[in-house]
Amino acid sequence: MKIIDTHTHLPGLSFGLKPRPASKLRQEFEAEGLTGAWLFTTDGLLGEPARNNDILTETVAEHRDFFAPFCTVNPLDGADAAIRELDRCKSKLGMRGLKLHPWLQAFSMMNPAVEPVLAHAGALGFPVVFHDGTPPYTSSLQIAALAEKVPQTTIVLGHAGLDDLFEDAILACQRHSNIFLCLCGVSCGHIEQIIHRCPPERLLFGSDGGFASQLIELRIDMLRETDASASVLRQIFYANPQRLLPLPV
Amino acid sequence: MRMPLIIDSAVCLRNPADPALVKAWLDQMARHGIAHAVIAPADGYAAVYNEEGNTLLARLARSYPKQLSGLAAVNPWLGPKAVSLLEKAFDDGLKGLFLCPPRQGFRLTESIVDPLLEVCRQRRKPVYAHTGTPICCEPFQLAELARRFPQVIFIMGHAAYPDFWYDVAAALQQTPNLLVETSCQGAAIIQQAIDAVGPERVLFGSGWPRSKPGIEIRKIQSMGLPAATLEKIMHTNAMRCWGITP
Repeated sequence: MKIIDTHTHLPGLSFGLKPRPASKLRQEFEAEGLTGAWLFTTDGLLGEPARNNDILTETVAEHRDFFAPFCTVNPLDGADAAIRELDRCKSKLGMRGLKLHPWLQAFSMMNPAVEPVLAHAGALGFPVVFHDGTPPYTSSLQIAALAEKVPQTTIVLGHAGLDDLFEDAILACQRHSNIFLCLCGVSCGHIEQIIHRCPPERLLFGSDGGFASQLIELRIDMLRETDASASVLRQIFYANPQRLLPLPV
Repeated sequence: MRMPLIIDSAVCLRNPADPALVKAWLDQMARHGIAHAVIAPADGYAAVYNEEGNTLLARLARSYPKQLSGLAAVNPWLGPKAVSLLEKAFDDGLKGLFLCPPRQGFRLTESIVDPLLEVCRQRRKPVYAHTGTPICCEPFQLAELARRFPQVIFIMGHAAYPDFWYDVAAALQQTPNLLVETSCQGAAIIQQAIDAVGPERVLFGSGWPRSKPGIEIRKIQSMGLPAATLEKIMHTNAMRCWGITP
């Protein structure tokens, strides 16, 4: 079965990770079963987003058939600056989506800069993947409140609410047609409930691959342990991400 | 690597009186080679219907003494009645106290839980606490409680999954009577806990039905632990902690 992972990170210098070239990372990801991956910065979520957008793009330059690089910006830099960086990431770097992590980046979803940034990302055709499930900045319904204001932008709850807020993520997904849930980090029994209650065309596989070895394989197994049908699994693993961002380009 | 005998310290049964649910869990045990499981009350039984839930679990444990043990849930807000309910549950054979602050509506550090912990101290019963949900059951809150009752064994349920992973090892280091249970949490964090305080304070849990035994066993297998360490985590520590001999 083809599998596109919609939640992976480029290991950098933070979180005790070990940086490695894209060829090695690709090799690891393929060995764990992936056909392609949406790849986010790790270091850039802690600072210097523009520099880290450059690093990510350069790192995967020879592997764009496998990796879809996502940029990041920080709304605390102001909406204008963030939007300029988004434009640069699209036109100059050819990046394909936006990753935001309000917890690590320390901004509230109610910051006035967030809405224009999300609207602009949507206009560029960037899906926006959020870390979610962690109060006080990234509860699923905080993100949903903004998703409601930018209906043309695809918003991905990158952890489907995690174990404490997955019920809220389900509500958000049921209410807003621009919200997708990435089944990354939510436990296996809760994944089953999400699959039962959400439109399958808006569910995505994700693993946080890049953070630890064998994480991708384990999280693929978690989906396979559910009672989801083979056709639903095909949607989650491949058809849905492929519809949002075709790989290879 | 071949898995040693498995004791599962983290199972919830939504309704211990439902034969289909019980059978489903026993099937899981057989399928994954789990010799014994410690069952906690879930949902309404943890929050409100404590006596009913405890009685059902005690009955279930008596029906399957080789395979199952039970924990008692008592809502601390019941005051003096909570103490008598807990005494009764222990008299009925339940092996420890299950605390679920998000369901029971208190913070681990609140003194209303102290009378229950005093019973646990007197009866030498361990306390398993759900952890990982802010603001009521964080690792350092449980460590604080463990320091307040140094003679009681406390278990950090689900290793504070999802977002308090960075506190797990440091909280364990604060007090020797705090153990950690492995379900849901990532292998790297379990390894950090082992490195910080040794494998003697780590208990395997499947987290059923929140997680699944196959996934949780594979996670531990993937860590490449030495056989002696694996034996401690998969059963020796649990036997000592809960006083069970499968």
